[in-house]
Amino acid sequence: MSNPKRLHPAAMIFTVISSLRQFIVAALPLIILSIGEGPFIYGVIGVAVFSILLIGYGILSWFRFTYVLEEDQIRIEQGVLIRKKRSISKSRIQSIDLTQGVIHRIFGLTKVQIETAGSDRDVDASLSAVTFDEGKYLHEQLKQVNEPNIKQQQNVNQPEDPSIFPSRSISVKRLIIAGSTSGSFGVILSLFVVFFSELESVIPATVYQEVTGWIVVQAIEILVGLAIMVLLFLWGIGILGTVIKYGQFTITRYEKELYITRGLLEKRQMTIPLKRIQAVGVKQSLVRQPLGYTTVFVEIAGGVQDNNKNTETLLFPLLRKSEVVAFLQEILPEYEQVPTDFIQVPKRALPYYLLRTAFVPLVAVIVVAVLGLEWIWIPLVILAIACSLGFARFQTAGFHLSEQQLTLQMRLFSKETIFVKQRRVQSLEIKQHILHRKQQLANVSPSILNNFGGKHYLVQELNQSDVERIADWYSYQKD
Amino acid sequence: MRQPPSERIAKDAIQAWKLVALLWLAVPILITVGLFLLAYFFDFSYWLGVIALILSVIEGLITVFLIPKLRWRRWRYQVFEQEIYIQHGILVVSRTLVPMIRVQHVDTKQGPVLKKYGLSSLTISTAATTHEIPALLEEEASDLRDQISELARVEQDDV
Repeated sequence: MSNPKRLHPAAMIFTVISSLRQFIVAALPLIILSIGEGPFIYGVIGVAVFSILLIGYGILSWFRFTYVLEEDQIRIEQGVLIRKKRSISKSRIQSIDLTQGVIHRIFGLTKVQIETAGSDRDVDASLSAVTFDEGKYLHEQLKQVNEPNIKQQQNVNQPEDPSIFPSRSISVKRLIIAGSTSGSFGVILSLFVVFFSELESVIPATVYQEVTGWIVVQAIEILVGLAIMVLLFLWGIGILGTVIKYGQFTITRYEKELYITRGLLEKRQMTIPLKRIQAVGVKQSLVRQPLGYTTVFVEIAGGVQDNNKNTETLLFPLLRKSEVVAFLQEILPEYEQVPTDFIQVPKRALPYYLLRTAFVPLVAVIVVAVLGLEWIWIPLVILAIACSLGFARFQTAGFHLSEQQLTLQMRLFSKETIFVKQRRVQSLEIKQHILHRKQQLANVSPSILNNFGGKHYLVQELNQSDVERIADWYSYQKD
Repeated sequence: MRQPPSERIAKDAIQAWKLVALLWLAVPILITVGLFLLAYFFDFSYWLGVIALILSVIEGLITVFLIPKLRWRRWRYQVFEQEIYIQHGILVVSRTLVPMIRVQHVDTKQGPVLKKYGLSSLTISTAATTHEIPALLEEEASDLRDQISELARVEQDDV
């Protein structure tokens, strides 16, 4: 148990890939510049030297990376130039995630990520490649101290026998619906445009001219048809992306944790200890709301960030709105209470909501009107959209109080319903400006902890008396 | 409606804030001087300098004589056994409740300006937010810090 172990040699591949990734951004302009200029041979030599250095670095860092599993801690030593030693005590470990990428699956390996409570990345450890059995063994060993009675649970934690615990998987049909309504379309479109504008400089000028010449002489119908085809193609890619990312999505509820596996090519396992869940949310985007679909997510404290922009962790990619209650009852009964009657924002708050969204378009309309331009309909249309968005926000905003739980409803674009327990709220702020005070309105903003430091929810222009009720509900000083 | 918190911050806060505002006044004054110099040495209208001068004077009057007073008048706090209650803001009044069991740590801080008046500020951090009581008498601040950290030492349930 106390011999230092090395990673699987395939770890070298990952080191090389990850350092390549770091260099490629810096090197890309140089590579592009060097193409076509100077003798070809220099380029080849450069690439060769570079690869040798990279591979050498990969081998060395593999050689230097060792880990030891001890009685109550795991010790990791690593580093080629700067040597680092780190010990993580078992009782501090929050979760251990096993991830399998494509390369991992070829060799039967897995990546082990060990997370501690802080959101500080440097404190966490990751073993980029160990055999799958070793990964499972580590998972088991590291968890044991944390929860002594885990033995029994570990046995069913294996994929063979998950039937005792409630579990949900996504159907292919749902997955496709999720992909087609995901809104990743816009992102892909912009990537596509960027890609093509870059490509322009690489394609030989003659080919480019021929193609543009051909396009220009085509009839408008063909052009429209082409455009539609391109859009459909991109849409398809979006769907495919979702299917690959969330394929075989399965969530299982164990006694004290949620366990998620997903991914067709890259298999990811994720463990969410229940005590790290800070809030649960139900989200309906503008596309999904009319279709009656929602997603369910949680905010968790510390640990994984899926990618930097998103702190929410998906509990299920797509559910019918009517299924949410049943889903929560089964998977997360702590939050099964889904209220239907929300206390709405009072009517006198409507002007604020409209003004907030419509202010900029309104100014634009006035400017255009004063200048007397013909295309005044453009800002007018935007104004109308802004007003309806403001009205939608006004209609959505509301809250519900129960003994333990505060439920907030609000909309930026998507409609979000957030369930927070009283003891998960870090602090509560009430804000009023002068007009609010005259009109007996107030904003309320509870803050919770998440893996990005904190999240501050905000419901604006509620009745002051309602906000006072929320404050009383939250207050620990009952008198 | 919930009563506002009972305690006021130190009266000298007004003096300290005035001093800070005066120091910041250097920025618009420098801009004004710059504009006048430009107008003197180059072909540059004096009007811009005059406008900048008027704006600086107005800005100075507001930030030095008006805002510190209003700010002080609104600033209140109260430390209960189980929570801290803070109120501040001039146009937008904000009232914050911070439960003791959520408090992670308490700091007192003192910059040169606060030191001159024998004041220091108190910062209360939870896992997700930080809250500052900007100007307390030095002793008061350190007493309060110890008191809060004592009260916050109750059993922290997870996170």
